[in-house]
Amino acid sequence: MVEKADVEMEMADNPFEPYIESLRQQLEEQDPVLLIALIVALAVVVITCVFLKYFLSSKTVRSAVLLVGLCESGKTLLFSRLLSGNFKRTQTSITDSSAPYKAKNDRACTWTLIDLPGHDSLRPQYLEKFKSAARAIVFVVDSAIFQKEVRDVAEFLYVLLTDSVISRNGPAILVACNKQDITMAKSAKLIQQQLEKELNTLRVTRSAALSAQDGSIGGSMYLGKKGKDFEFSQLPVKVEFLECSARGSKGEEGEADIQNLEKSLAKL
Amino acid sequence: MTEANSLTASQTCILCTSGRFLPVKDENYLIRGGKMLDFFTIFSKGGIVLWCFQGAGVSESFAGPVNALIRSVILQERSGNNSYSHEALSLKYKLDNEFELIFVVGFQKILTLTYVDKFIDDVQLHFRDRYKNELEQKGALKLLNNNFEFEDDFTMLLREAEESSKARSHVAMRSFKESEKSQKTVKSMIETKGVDKSKEQGGKKNKNTKKEAAPAADSAKGDKGKVTSSGQKTVENGNQGLTPEEDMQKKREEFFRKRIVGTAEKPISSTKSPKPQKPREKRMRVWDMGGNSTKELDYSKSKGEGSTNGDDQSLETKMDPGMQVSSMEGELPPVDYESSDEGEIEEEDERVVVSGTSKTSSKKGGSFGGMFGMLKGLVGSKSLSSDDMEPVLEKMKEHLITKNVAADIASKLCDSVAKKLEGKVMGTFTTVASTVKQALQDSLVQILQPKRRVDILRDVMDAQSQRRPFVITFCGVNGVGKSTNLAKISFWLIENGFTVLIAACDTFRAGAVEQLRTHERRLNSLHPQEQHGGRPVVQLYEKGYGKDAAGIAMEAIAYARNQVFDVVLVDTAGRMQDNAPLMTALAKLIAVNMPDLVLFVGEALVGNEAVDQLVKFNQALADHSMSDRPRLIDGIVLTKFDTIDDKVGAAISMTYITGQPIVFVGTGQTYSDLRSLNARAVVSALMKA
Repeated sequence: MVEKADVEMEMADNPFEPYIESLRQQLEEQDPVLLIALIVALAVVVITCVFLKYFLSSKTVRSAVLLVGLCESGKTLLFSRLLSGNFKRTQTSITDSSAPYKAKNDRACTWTLIDLPGHDSLRPQYLEKFKSAARAIVFVVDSAIFQKEVRDVAEFLYVLLTDSVISRNGPAILVACNKQDITMAKSAKLIQQQLEKELNTLRVTRSAALSAQDGSIGGSMYLGKKGKDFEFSQLPVKVEFLECSARGSKGEEGEADIQNLEKSLAKL
Repeated sequence: MTEANSLTASQTCILCTSGRFLPVKDENYLIRGGKMLDFFTIFSKGGIVLWCFQGAGVSESFAGPVNALIRSVILQERSGNNSYSHEALSLKYKLDNEFELIFVVGFQKILTLTYVDKFIDDVQLHFRDRYKNELEQKGALKLLNNNFEFEDDFTMLLREAEESSKARSHVAMRSFKESEKSQKTVKSMIETKGVDKSKEQGGKKNKNTKKEAAPAADSAKGDKGKVTSSGQKTVENGNQGLTPEEDMQKKREEFFRKRIVGTAEKPISSTKSPKPQKPREKRMRVWDMGGNSTKELDYSKSKGEGSTNGDDQSLETKMDPGMQVSSMEGELPPVDYESSDEGEIEEEDERVVVSGTSKTSSKKGGSFGGMFGMLKGLVGSKSLSSDDMEPVLEKMKEHLITKNVAADIASKLCDSVAKKLEGKVMGTFTTVASTVKQALQDSLVQILQPKRRVDILRDVMDAQSQRRPFVITFCGVNGVGKSTNLAKISFWLIENGFTVLIAACDTFRAGAVEQLRTHERRLNSLHPQEQHGGRPVVQLYEKGYGKDAAGIAMEAIAYARNQVFDVVLVDTAGRMQDNAPLMTALAKLIAVNMPDLVLFVGEALVGNEAVDQLVKFNQALADHSMSDRPRLIDGIVLTKFDTIDDKVGAAISMTYITGQPIVFVGTGQTYSDLRSLNARAVVSALMKA
């Protein structure tokens, strides 16, 4: 092995020949066992470096798609529909569930779909745990009772958008307006307008909120542009609104109406 | 059987609707037995229902009650006892922490089913054994794709449970010969007052060998004073041989006896114990430590020398005050720190030594077994049992109590964490202590996180758009800082551009109105009228002292509506939670005026009292309101936070008891010392050693 390399090098550049000759003589004088040990050690070091680079780089680790939203918005059912197409009865989740998801596109890449609990007291800690691994965030909104909950939805969205980790990584945010099978459901466009209005006022009140007792101020980012009304297009992250229905229009046995969602996930 | 009812692959639930047959082997049993239970569900902690059963004739979905169970019990860390009632249903549940499952059974509250606890345990074991392979997989795919066909096992277990309960309830009555009454003599049953009662008691004690009466008899033998009356009661209950007339006779005599004695806490033992035989004569009282001679007490000789002694004495007295007179001149010396510190350190050392010895003793006891267990725990996958967690939880409970968490809340929290962790499989290289600590930390953070959105400014803006004032009421016990924090909150609101009306509903405390007037003057000088559109930012609405607080509040709110003030802050008088008339007055104020926010002001220095205060305040507010949806405490203001270093346990006690968030934290006595709560910081201060 060593000789072949030497031969090639000899062919390549002649000026180095005397050095190579002396090197070869020195190497031949050495014990072969020692040589082999040296080569093995070098190889191990090289392989370790390659592995570390592979695993520590953040780009490949961010392969999670998070399902977030308020309580009772339909995240767990959406999770079930996306993965297996089945209808399952659900209760309030108290821990996260995760499973690999194959996107329906040509490249057939696999994401990890993670369903986070929506209850107010569990939301912050689960978000904390998973936000750094997020490649996309699906924000599920209950379109039927949106009018009553608009302030809570807007506050959660505000927390998401002003989070430092999320604004640094820049995952795609898909706002899925769920429960479109109910007749009173609002359309995605209406929900977008209402949220823009609400976030407009919210960014003023939240920046004026009291700092915490140890002096830390949460979320000092100002959304959008000052002086102008807030619009989602002003944000550096991509926010997309789409409609879907996890239950499906035909009741429990029918198919869910989630083509839009699947298409958007395929585009990631 | 119609086609529509056959189970399809996607359906895993049986809905027994009346009039249709079920595709189950033993349909009749299911319909009959199902009348007892309303529903039974098995679902994962991630929210997917794996299997469910709904009893016959029950049409409502059970999702509502189960969600209520999850939200109020499991998420609020009250899972110490495993039952919960929601409207007419009573729910019992069991957590399986190894596979992350929850088993819930619901039945009507009026039925008292005794077999339910054992039934849940049996179902859990059965389900686990049968579906071990599917459940062990990480990730939710298996759960989603699998159909858990559990009906047959379920009906079998239900039948066993019901039959076993039926078997237990039908105990055959004993015949007269077998009873103990036939072994008594007639004479022993005749009652006479006084001494004979004790003899009779003795006789009854002998014959009562039943298990229920045995402890009562033992205690009756031991202590005669109070227990004899209770002992007699249990004897009555345990003895089935008494006729009703004898029973009534005995009760009547007991009643008379109690009347004679007065407050019957300790019936005079003289009626019970046999009277001493000879009459007592008067004897001189002898004190034990008195000594015998009176010679030592005779100071007559010294009095003779009294003049010289007196002089000496007066000289001495002159010298003593001489020493004292000049010693306090000049600066006051500081408190003697060293001795007190040493004393404290010694105490701490003692405590540490004591706990250390107890620790070493426990360590020594289980050292060999413990070592192998520890190694096994480090490397393999060991599942937590309550014995493993017991010492760690005890230590954590003590730690929480030293950090000023109320004692019974600390114990409830530890019970809840134990329930959550029981049976859980630990990962490699994690010790029991670290798992328990992590779980406790998570549950503490969860308790402190608010369960609803807390954004006062947004709500005030909302009320502003509806052209009505936003009313905040402050209530609490005496001296917690209501008026001071009211001033701080009005400063914060003014800084954000709102106009504030302060209603002085504290008509009792001297100087309360003047204090608020001073605050009003100061705030107006800090934010002069000219800068805020020509009208004063703060105004005080007061009617002096002695008037009805609820009336003043109502007038203040009407005034605010007319003058278009944005916020009304209502200051009430401090009152102790035991003071019933004052609590009624406060409840009336709140019920009549329907404020938008009722804030309870509590100081961070309070310890176990916090629980009592909050419970009684909430109770009073609920009792005295007319409507069926009473206004309870909506939020908590935690004051004097700068006086505690890291003994922040009061925050936990208050949020645990009410379930309401901490809205403001007061950290000092100037206007800018107002903060919001940071749950993580508080919990890390709490868990810090």
